[in-house]
Amino acid sequence: MFQYYFMLGVRSLRRNPALTALMVLTLAIGVAASVSTLTILHVMSGDPIPHKSERLLVPVFDPAPLEGYVPGEEPNDKQMSYADATNLLKSKQGERRTAIFGVSAPIEPARKDIPVFPAGGLAVTRDFFAMFESPFLHGQRWSEADDEAGANVVVLSRTIAEKLYGSANPVGQRMTIFGQQFQIAGVLDQWAPMPHYYRLIGGAGKFGTEDELFIPFKSAVRNQFNPSGNMNCSGESGPGYANMLASECTWIQFWFETAKAGDRAELQSYIDSYASEQRKLGRLPRAAKNKLYDVMEWMTHNKVVGNDSRLAAWLAFGFLLLCLVNTIGLLLAKFSVRAAEVGIRRALGASQKEIFRQFLVETAVVGLAGGILGLILATGALALIAMQSKAMGNIAHMDWIMLAFTFILSVFAAVVAGLLPTWRACQVTPAMQLKSQ
Amino acid sequence: MLRMTNLSKVYRTHMIETHALRGFEIQVNKGEFVTVTGPSGSGKTSFLNIAGLLEEFTGGEYILDGVNVKGMDDNARSRLRNEKLGFIFQGFNLIPDLSLFDNVDVPLRYRGFNAAERRERIEDALSKVGLASRMKHYPAELSGGQQQRVAIARALAGSPKLLLADEPTGNLDTQMARGVMELLEEINAQGTTILMVTHDPELAVRSQRNVHIIDGQVSDLVRKSATLVDTRAGHGVHAV
Repeated sequence: MFQYYFMLGVRSLRRNPALTALMVLTLAIGVAASVSTLTILHVMSGDPIPHKSERLLVPVFDPAPLEGYVPGEEPNDKQMSYADATNLLKSKQGERRTAIFGVSAPIEPARKDIPVFPAGGLAVTRDFFAMFESPFLHGQRWSEADDEAGANVVVLSRTIAEKLYGSANPVGQRMTIFGQQFQIAGVLDQWAPMPHYYRLIGGAGKFGTEDELFIPFKSAVRNQFNPSGNMNCSGESGPGYANMLASECTWIQFWFETAKAGDRAELQSYIDSYASEQRKLGRLPRAAKNKLYDVMEWMTHNKVVGNDSRLAAWLAFGFLLLCLVNTIGLLLAKFSVRAAEVGIRRALGASQKEIFRQFLVETAVVGLAGGILGLILATGALALIAMQSKAMGNIAHMDWIMLAFTFILSVFAAVVAGLLPTWRACQVTPAMQLKSQ
Repeated sequence: MLRMTNLSKVYRTHMIETHALRGFEIQVNKGEFVTVTGPSGSGKTSFLNIAGLLEEFTGGEYILDGVNVKGMDDNARSRLRNEKLGFIFQGFNLIPDLSLFDNVDVPLRYRGFNAAERRERIEDALSKVGLASRMKHYPAELSGGQQQRVAIARALAGSPKLLLADEPTGNLDTQMARGVMELLEEINAQGTTILMVTHDPELAVRSQRNVHIIDGQVSDLVRKSATLVDTRAGHGVHAV
């Protein structure tokens, strides 16, 4: 019977085109408003690496001076100093580990037709690519020896590689970055996780564009690449690169990857004992709690989803509710003129349940039509949102989950709106309707 | 086929009670063609609605084809209505945005027949009423007489035991009415029991017997055949 009712529902769309169009449009506008705001919320708050997000952990110490410290206060800092980063890299804790800082360096293309241009990238360890599962188009990550030696090797993004070398495989070629010769170890395929969770602070930001190049952490330090991004200095720091490295300024993002989620406690114990040792050495004077955040905790801590986004979503759902109330009125009007048909169907053997099912399927068909139009409107709304900024452009796009959700929401909303009109349609007294015809 | 015993129907509002039927007694045998006459407000329509399981009755007993319908829930009543009854109305009551084929299809859908059986029954029913060639047409494209023939085809498609007709010729001119009446007689001759409410004395005379209702009671039982007389005393039913 479902197929029969569905067919009747499609036909009923044509029965009163003006009323149907109004209903579908009302529903579509409500759905489009909800879906477009929810899409942004979904991209912002989604787990970017669900199968291992619990095993990727950010350690946070509080390197600030003792002055002004209130016991029990959480660390205010989100990055770490060079000293802590290098110590943790040496620690060999966890299965993998990487220190990250942003670099911005001019690239001097070998081709004369391309002028020198600045590129933004990251200084990382070779573990970075495995930890965050960066896909390689050509070549591979640099070797452990390159990491240790701080060799001049580089991994390029696909965009930069194509800009410099077209579609050719440039692995093994040498290129000039910041006046230094670097050998290309690999080229990544398109890769720009949203949010930019592995580096939320500084640089391109939470929803920034892809990183264009990656060089070994030690190489960046050896070549004195200035960090691009946020730097927090609570103590004194002298001039020059060496003083920056020796300072308590925090400018490095650190990540551990543990073999299993259960290893978190062991890692926590390690960073606690590390902080304790450093305190004995006169560093980390505050006895603040040392924190570990997994990916989702880290995103919450950094307020990846802003309160304004949540508010926008709530408002959009409020608007959808208003649209539903309107749809209820329109459905009541639509179904009230069908009383005669209900009477006939009842006389011919339809039970109240069958009438209920038929009309509910009809409202679902209205919902489906609303979903299709809502999808078009939501795509348009997202395109408008994307025009606001580059970062919004990166997140304001619909994926398959949201596409399916649009239809589910629309059909669900229509069915909810249709419950009262459908129930009323079932209450028709067939005898009265049949006599009045 | 149909037996009502001491049946009553009372419509209640918070102000008044209206007795549409009281002490109503009737028996219709299998294969009969019975007409029901009576003045407006006498209870003819209430009787037909109760007979057609479209309304519940207040008291008494109603046996339809051996099934006591008292206390049945809506599902069971709907199933019984679908399986055993066919309806023909004065206003035809076709669904305007369905083709003739789909109109006749409606009761068969609720019966749960498969597509092949439904098609066969629809084509057969429309053939019987002479409209097989127009099954893709819509009701608005037909004359009143043709629409009533479609309604008859719809009523017949499910092979009902009892055909209930409420003034089936009331909206038709004399010629069309005659055609519809002949069709009903033909259907009755093939074994279908027919119970028809009418105001037309000419049609009442053509049936095998006429039941006259006044003030919610059977007041007159006109019989055409001596074997069909019901002379039970004390039930408000009188032979004339």
